[in-house]
Amino acid sequence: MASKRIKTMATMAGAAAFVALAIWKPTVLIYGTQQAGLYASIAIPMGLVLGIVHIVNLAHGEFMMVAAYAAYSLSMATGMDPLIALIPTAAATSLFGFLVYRLTIRNALKAPELNQLILTFGLGITLSQITNILFTSQTRKLSLDYVSASVTIGELSFGIWSFVFVAAAIAMTVGLKLFLTRTMMGKAAVAVGQNPRGAAIVGIDVDRTYGFIFALALAMVGAVGALFLTKSSIFPGVGGPFTMKSFCLVAMAGVGNIPGILAASLLLGLSEAFLRVFRELRGWADIVFFVLIIAVILGRSLKERKS
Amino acid sequence: MKRIVALATAVLMAQLVAAQGAPIKIGGIWPLSDITGKQGSAAAQLAVAEINKAGGVLGRQLELIVVDDELKADKAAAAVEKLVTVDKVDVLVGGMASGAELGKIPAFKKYGKVVIATGAAGSGTVEKALGPSPDSDFYFHLHPWDYNQGASYSEGWDAIQAQYPNMKIKKIFLAYEEGAFGKSSWDQTKVLFGGRYTVDGAPFKSAAMGGGDYASMLEAAKDYKPDLFIWAGYDADALPMLEQAKAMKFNPGIYLGAPPGWPIGFGTSRLSANVMLYGMWAPAMNDTNKASKKFYDGFVAKFKEEPATYFAPLSYSAIFILADAIKAAGTVETAALIKALKATKYESPLGEVITFSKSNIIAHQGIKRQKILQWQAGRQEVIWPLEAKTEVPVYPFPQWK
Repeated sequence: MASKRIKTMATMAGAAAFVALAIWKPTVLIYGTQQAGLYASIAIPMGLVLGIVHIVNLAHGEFMMVAAYAAYSLSMATGMDPLIALIPTAAATSLFGFLVYRLTIRNALKAPELNQLILTFGLGITLSQITNILFTSQTRKLSLDYVSASVTIGELSFGIWSFVFVAAAIAMTVGLKLFLTRTMMGKAAVAVGQNPRGAAIVGIDVDRTYGFIFALALAMVGAVGALFLTKSSIFPGVGGPFTMKSFCLVAMAGVGNIPGILAASLLLGLSEAFLRVFRELRGWADIVFFVLIIAVILGRSLKERKS
Repeated sequence: MKRIVALATAVLMAQLVAAQGAPIKIGGIWPLSDITGKQGSAAAQLAVAEINKAGGVLGRQLELIVVDDELKADKAAAAVEKLVTVDKVDVLVGGMASGAELGKIPAFKKYGKVVIATGAAGSGTVEKALGPSPDSDFYFHLHPWDYNQGASYSEGWDAIQAQYPNMKIKKIFLAYEEGAFGKSSWDQTKVLFGGRYTVDGAPFKSAAMGGGDYASMLEAAKDYKPDLFIWAGYDADALPMLEQAKAMKFNPGIYLGAPPGWPIGFGTSRLSANVMLYGMWAPAMNDTNKASKKFYDGFVAKFKEEPATYFAPLSYSAIFILADAIKAAGTVETAALIKALKATKYESPLGEVITFSKSNIIAHQGIKRQKILQWQAGRQEVIWPLEAKTEVPVYPFPQWK
């Protein structure tokens, strides 16, 4: 009962803060939500892999970087818009991910977790070094008119393209929810995630499920990589920082809680945008990320101890 | 006894002949994963090839041994050790980032070999660590120090406003990346422009460091309504920042970028039109400068790509300056070489005759002036120094369509 009351009060406080921000500084809401969309769309595939296959994929950002380069190469070679290149890129990244899983990650599943971390860390370095050799470290960026699309309300003009990441994050969350609850493969994946040995006993092909989920996550990473290319410059080291951010968002949300990643990203995006409004606090925008993750994880462990 | 003396003389003579025929070894240190170092070292190799094709120096061929410093101070220091003790190089060239250069200085001082530095603008760190003459006399710094750059920009904007009275600058806004490069730019801007102009600024997290959201910084800039908007960041910020500025309808009179390099194909983007930049060289100079054209044609013929950064002609110049000095000195011995380098007068592809003179601390500073350029129709045009201009500036920065 008390917990329900706290939840209601928190929701009301959140709604009040939202309205106050919309009146006082609407740009905090606009840019904070856009940034949250970017964070969430990159973190959600990691949430799927971590929740089901239980692997902290430290090459997550590098896979996204490789996908962005693939979409870039396709666009340059054929003149294809990255939004169309997104489909073949997602398919190719998925296949690539499946091969990587079969050849490397699969062999480390039963090894201690440290081995998996080292393996995926090594994969990440390999991917960025190969990209460096193939494409050099020089930055690449496609110039696309629609990226500068904007809306003007009174004195305020703001870009609207980045809302595409919000849409992508919501679509992935809804799609995954439907997949995990309405399809046989999805239900099997949830079962494998909860108890692989039990799932195997009831006849689920655990290895096939792991491979499928990894390939599905990589397909999403591929699609996000192509979307990322529309907004950002790409270079071999571009993915690295997103691995850490994605991992922390998944941890904040709780492993296996895909909608929670959306909420955690929103909290992070809005907090960063809020701090950047104040000249003296701009430098703190990066630190808020660590403060939030420490606060959430500490709060959760205290709650668990209490219960 | 006579036989022993004859034998020793013969051995010594043979060694002398072998030494005379052996190549002169130059140790080059650049960050090879970065376009500046990659093209800088390639341009140095081009210069070596051209000199060797013309008969070498003092009847000997030049040999350039390149080591990657990976933009790290420890790797850079290890590179000096390796080049001097293992490869036994006669002289050292190269350098880009100040941090890496700082790491080399103890080893430079330990061995005292002549150094022609192509990078490192950080006077507060590198020049300070080198110290005054005579301890740093082995060091010939080609790249301008940060205060040289700042002073030349100030001089440049004064000259441009005098030449083009419609260009008026009163308010300057500096957007600077949160790292050391951006912060040092902000400190320099406040000192150099603070007295005569109204200056404001805001930091942003560069895309190169995992950032890439410029909204709050651009909002601050838009509210300030600057006549001159300068951003000090990296190539990864160039187009995304312009796209966001366009979306926010931010139209400063002058929009200027000061990254160390530009992204591939920046000039082909419509957004690049009339963006200004600080630099030292542009292919447009080929139209007015023979040395620039010779360098450019040679580079394109050898590497099948265009030099994308001024570190290429700068490193090319470093090798020619060194070769001329060795020729003049008649030896690679340090004292004689320093004396010959002091008398350098080299007509460089960078559009100026390079000589060495005293800077704030060290005795041998090469280039002191940078250039103000503008992207026009996809290529960088020099608009200042006025005597080297290849185009007149387009002003104001066009309103977004």
